[in-house]
Amino acid sequence: MEANLLRFILFTLVGLVLTSFNDHLHNASSHYQYCVLGAGPAGLQMGFFLSKAKRDYIILERNSGPGSFFNKYPRHRKLISINKIHTGRHNAEFNLRHDWNSLLSDKPDLLFKRVSGEFYPPADAFPLYLSAFERELGLKVKYGVDVGRIRLVRSATGRSYVLIDQHAADYSCSILLVATGLWVPQEVEFAGSHLAEGYESISTNPDDYKDQAVLILGKGNSAFETAQSILGRASRVHMLSSSTVRLAWQTHYVGDLRAVNNEVLDTYQLKSLDGLAEARLEDVVITKQEERGRKRSGLNNPETRDKLYLNLRQFKQNSDEGKGSDEPWVELPDYIDNFSLRKPYDRVIRCLGFRFNFSIFDSSARLPPSENAKGRLPGVTAWYEGKNTPGLFLLGTASHSRDYRSSAGGFVHGFRYTARAVHRVLEYRHHGNKWPSTRLMTTQLMSWILKRVGEASGPYQMFETLGDVILLRGSHCEYVEEFLLQALPRFSSLSGHDVSSQGLIVLVMQYGKRKIDNLGLGRSETDWTQAWKSNFLHPVLYYYDSLPTAQDMKTRPHGWPLPRPKAIHHMVEDFLTEWDTPLSHIQPLRRFLEHCVHSDLRAFSTENCFRSALTHRKPPLFCQQGYLAR
Amino acid sequence: MASSDLPPNDPRPSPTHTSQRGQISLLRMWVCVAAVLLWISSAGCHEKANMSIHIEITAADFHERLLSGKMMFLYFQQQVSPTISLFLVELEKSAEALQDYGVLVGKVTCKKEPVQAYCTDAKHQHRAFLFRGGKEFLSFSLDTVFDVNSIVAEVLFAILRDEVKYVHTDADLQTLEEAAKGKRDIVLGYVRSLGTQEHRSLMETAYVYGSKYQFILITGGPVLKQLGVNESSQLSRVWFVHCRVHGAVMTPVTSERCPLTRMRTALSTLSLHTFLQLMEAPLVSKVFVDPSSVPPPQFPYQLTPQVFLFSHPATEHLDLDTASALAWRLRGLALLLLVHRQSPAVKTPEKYNAAYRLPEKSSEVKYLTLHSLDDVLELFTKQEEEEEEDEEEDSHSGELDDEVAADVYRNRGHFLDLDQVTQLTSDNFHSEVAQSSLTVVLFYLKWDAVSMAFLGSFVEVAEKLEDSRVDDVQMCVVDCGEWTDLCAAQPGTAVPFQPITEFPSVLLIRRQQAAQRYAGALSGEALHRFVMMSRLASPLLLSTNEEVTSFLQEVPHPDLAGYRPDKVLGLFRTESRTGLSVFTEAAELLAGEVLTGLLTDGLVEKWAAEHDVEPPAVLLFPSWRKLSHPSALPVTSSSKDLLTQIHSALLQPVPELTVENLPSFLSLGKALLLLFVGEEEDEIGRRQNQALVDQMRGVSEQGGARMERYLPCWIHLGRTPAGLSVLGSYLGSLPPLPALVLTHLLSGDEVYQYPPNTPILAGSVLQWLQSVEDGTESPAGMLGGDSWPPAFEFYDFLKVMDMQEVDPRSPEEEEVKTEEVNVEEHLVTKTMPYDHLDMNSKFHSEL
Repeated sequence: MEANLLRFILFTLVGLVLTSFNDHLHNASSHYQYCVLGAGPAGLQMGFFLSKAKRDYIILERNSGPGSFFNKYPRHRKLISINKIHTGRHNAEFNLRHDWNSLLSDKPDLLFKRVSGEFYPPADAFPLYLSAFERELGLKVKYGVDVGRIRLVRSATGRSYVLIDQHAADYSCSILLVATGLWVPQEVEFAGSHLAEGYESISTNPDDYKDQAVLILGKGNSAFETAQSILGRASRVHMLSSSTVRLAWQTHYVGDLRAVNNEVLDTYQLKSLDGLAEARLEDVVITKQEERGRKRSGLNNPETRDKLYLNLRQFKQNSDEGKGSDEPWVELPDYIDNFSLRKPYDRVIRCLGFRFNFSIFDSSARLPPSENAKGRLPGVTAWYEGKNTPGLFLLGTASHSRDYRSSAGGFVHGFRYTARAVHRVLEYRHHGNKWPSTRLMTTQLMSWILKRVGEASGPYQMFETLGDVILLRGSHCEYVEEFLLQALPRFSSLSGHDVSSQGLIVLVMQYGKRKIDNLGLGRSETDWTQAWKSNFLHPVLYYYDSLPTAQDMKTRPHGWPLPRPKAIHHMVEDFLTEWDTPLSHIQPLRRFLEHCVHSDLRAFSTENCFRSALTHRKPPLFCQQGYLAR
Repeated sequence: MASSDLPPNDPRPSPTHTSQRGQISLLRMWVCVAAVLLWISSAGCHEKANMSIHIEITAADFHERLLSGKMMFLYFQQQVSPTISLFLVELEKSAEALQDYGVLVGKVTCKKEPVQAYCTDAKHQHRAFLFRGGKEFLSFSLDTVFDVNSIVAEVLFAILRDEVKYVHTDADLQTLEEAAKGKRDIVLGYVRSLGTQEHRSLMETAYVYGSKYQFILITGGPVLKQLGVNESSQLSRVWFVHCRVHGAVMTPVTSERCPLTRMRTALSTLSLHTFLQLMEAPLVSKVFVDPSSVPPPQFPYQLTPQVFLFSHPATEHLDLDTASALAWRLRGLALLLLVHRQSPAVKTPEKYNAAYRLPEKSSEVKYLTLHSLDDVLELFTKQEEEEEEDEEEDSHSGELDDEVAADVYRNRGHFLDLDQVTQLTSDNFHSEVAQSSLTVVLFYLKWDAVSMAFLGSFVEVAEKLEDSRVDDVQMCVVDCGEWTDLCAAQPGTAVPFQPITEFPSVLLIRRQQAAQRYAGALSGEALHRFVMMSRLASPLLLSTNEEVTSFLQEVPHPDLAGYRPDKVLGLFRTESRTGLSVFTEAAELLAGEVLTGLLTDGLVEKWAAEHDVEPPAVLLFPSWRKLSHPSALPVTSSSKDLLTQIHSALLQPVPELTVENLPSFLSLGKALLLLFVGEEEDEIGRRQNQALVDQMRGVSEQGGARMERYLPCWIHLGRTPAGLSVLGSYLGSLPPLPALVLTHLLSGDEVYQYPPNTPILAGSVLQWLQSVEDGTESPAGMLGGDSWPPAFEFYDFLKVMDMQEVDPRSPEEEEVKTEEVNVEEHLVTKTMPYDHLDMNSKFHSEL
């Protein structure tokens, strides 16, 4: 009896102590349902959606203002994202197709054009725009919080992510949205790599390059931007990387070399003193030597610069596969006397882009590096959740591994839509709100599709990655905009919408996959029966009678965004990107839709509706939904 | 000449007159045919004789002939010039030709015979005049009557202008086809230009055959395209449209057009005559002798080839079907004869299954062994089709199969003048809507054909309102392809409507109120009526006897004269607050459709007593009933119920179904006891039709509760010509009118026909209904089903891609190639391991 009572008291006491200890811990940290890490464009974009949905959220930012990356980068201070203000159109959705800097909001005037009217705007305009966006939408951002550690904590109530800042304060979050961007300079280890300067720290004053021979490592936009800025001062600019130049206007990938940066191509091809060369950077050897005879030349240069010589590590010709790196190497110039890069350089500049900062994630919250992009990006699921970290999502540039080199998910004009998609996934998963959809009469479907292909910006920017899903339900259908195509097998569980036995249609914008002469004659297709050979962006509709499985998705034909459907329809590319001509676009589309819904979808005159209503049990759908419903 | 005996003043019987006159005109027709043939055969020598015909006419002659009412085509020559002389030569030539049609051609020399007015006015010297029935009928500029062909063509065209119709669109043609179905065939002509030999031939033929066939001239463009003719081909053409015996080939909705036969020879009076004769020839003739013993075709078919097919007794029906099918395809090209092998006179060896005889050769018969009917067809059409192939393919690829889209596409050149309407934008929406008490907004999409077709009507309504100075309504349009945020109801500010997901949509917006959706027919007339009605308050507060009287008896606006709206009058004592709000709510929803009035003070008792109701109550004055007999409804607890009750009480018990009102009656879900009556020609006809409708009412009244399942109704084929093909589709052929059918039964798709030639009397109709219910009647036809599979095959890209995508080179392989080229040029590194060439992972790219 007594023992029991004692035990009871003891338990109660211990319980009280434990409870108060827990309470204490709880008070020291702040809890949010949603934490957004980083107040860059992706973080603020997500902030808008969370704020609009009135969610419990906070945006944490280590710097004192939003978009701080853009205070430094691009180093030469010109954005190459298009800011086309004068489209001649009033369609707000259409105009976003040509506005690569604005974020999505419900304020029609909260657009980038407010801060800059220039087609290629100055970089400083971007943080200005982000500030306005944050301020006018009243987003909750906490600046000066430098999160150095993220760990996953499992408790009885579920799991949460705990973020610890520089003051050891912690933030506990049910859902963590990582929008930290890419800012760690990408480096490649090679003999003498320490002799190279980095894009992040080079001088941007062209005069500092007067008469210098410069070797730039990399052939991306930062490399070309750098080359372009010093072209008028440097004696020669050589660019070296493993791959040949990829031109954005040929690959349709905006991360490839944009024409706005490609002056060096001109000077190279017109045989000025600049040039491009290819070699694996890992094989490069840079050695520093004092320039022979320089001191005697009597030049008025107090600090004579050391010269940098480039060599290439060479594998033995008949090296066994896979063992290459262990093989001995020799220096090239010794036996190939016309080696392109045989003359020494004054500077070697590394312009290899940036990588994701993996270091802040504790082993409990570790993000695996992606298989593509040289592992510079974290690997994520098709709905941008960490592969082993449920509740942790990647937003913005860091989420680009899903569409690396194929679409625009690494850029503002692409990830503003994927952020919205992630928000919709969360709204359904945690709040039971199905993805927004529009209920349409089946007779109205064609007009609606034509409206979307004529104006929709999401599927247009995020081509082959986001697509509209149309759920067929007989006399009506549900139109779900901008679903994540790669997550299509999980459509129902992610969106909350069922797929009926009538099947579904997915509307995707895609480019042709054939390699063509992009400026040559015959580059465009005008015959609608050859629409599948369209080379430019054009709408493609996939009809499935049931949701494709994950296996279907995995084994989809090479280069296809989706598995082989029951029926497919290509709408022939349109020079004006309007896709609304009666013979070439509308009628073939209608016949395809008729095939999918097994019904005549033509419009009829009132007299013909009258006739068919009297001579048939039911008139055609158009008469049922139009004439008879009036 | 025979035809000069024609009655002088009106040689053409009016087409609306029937039987007796029809016979006369048929007789006359044959006389005319003979005349034409004679004229043709002797044309050569007349040409010379024409020159000598004296066409000089004196003033006295002119006045005398004018008084007699004879037809005259005259030129009053005021002066002499080379041009005039040339014209006079042609005029003289035409005198002989037109004489055959009872037209006197003449010239008055003004210098000698000054006829008042015609000789004095200088502007008359460039015109020639047609006189008919004692007065000037038409005058022609000398530019249009420049030679003998144009004179004859234009004069005949003028005389026939009530009978030869013009069609501009396929819809016009379809309407005429509808009217002709079961009555007469149509001759459809297209002449490359007026005043030509072809035009003249067509007019001469129309003159002769006008009472037998409906002649129609196509103006080109859309109809030609529809007929598969490339407009640029520049040939005059004639088609024969088989509408008279149409019933046999009747199919629903889109293919209910009369079959066509194109005339394949060049257009001339003779060829046209031969062609029409050929159209009258029996489709298939049976013969019981060997083809070689069959005589060559006799007049008028002597120039037509004969085709023989053989029939066995065992497969007689099948053979006949095959022969008929081929005969349709050969129509106008050859005559088809079916040889019955069982006849002992038939000696043709069994190995032959066909034979033919060509007219121009000797009358020798050639025997053939065919594998398909197309082989025969080829014999007669091969050459021709080669000529036309490209042209046909062209027109086919250019066809739109959707009638509304095709119509809009054809009119794409006519830009709509949107000046009469205000174009709403996201920016001006609120300020524009605030400007008037009623704003009517059309939301449209440019690529939606139905929207674009209706936009035209909408603008017309706006113009009509403007013309009658209706200034309290603002007509607006929103281009939803441009103002996508406004149409999604998200222009950044609140708007009084939900996102628009149906196009076209019309909303009526009143200040400070939620928008009202226009749910009426997409026609200008219906919308105009709705808008005019919507201008009135709903309900309209009535406080004096005069106001009530004017509410009940007057049309709300002179523009609606002739329209009788349904009217609803609410009687409420001031204290019955709840009932009043229910009524007011219902009245708001009825705005535009029904006129509602509200009485709340002393007058309530007077009206309630007069109509023997206890307030609160609603009195209904349906448009189809006399004002003195309103029906009364109690006020229900919800406006929705009240609305339903008002709607059903306003429905006419034995309605005349029209294109516009059919939906409201079909929605009742009742079987239709449907009477078809023809167009009345006179008062007697009208009375007969009225008596029939009265019998239908009788059916409804005498049948009592049994009639609950049926809706007795009727269609007036004159006012609703679309009903004609409905009737044809029910029964497979057109029965004599009136016709009574029972259709849309809940129990099945059978269509029953009330015994034709039995008087339609309420009692016997009820008996008949009973026997239908008992299952002792057999159906006369069947309703079509409810499934409408696609009418056109889709273009199967997947199949095409599978077929054409041979050996696609994978991008990797191409990569390798480019890489090698570069390596060569720069001699950098020769040993790129191939397994590292996954470019996706190898690349640097700026992010």
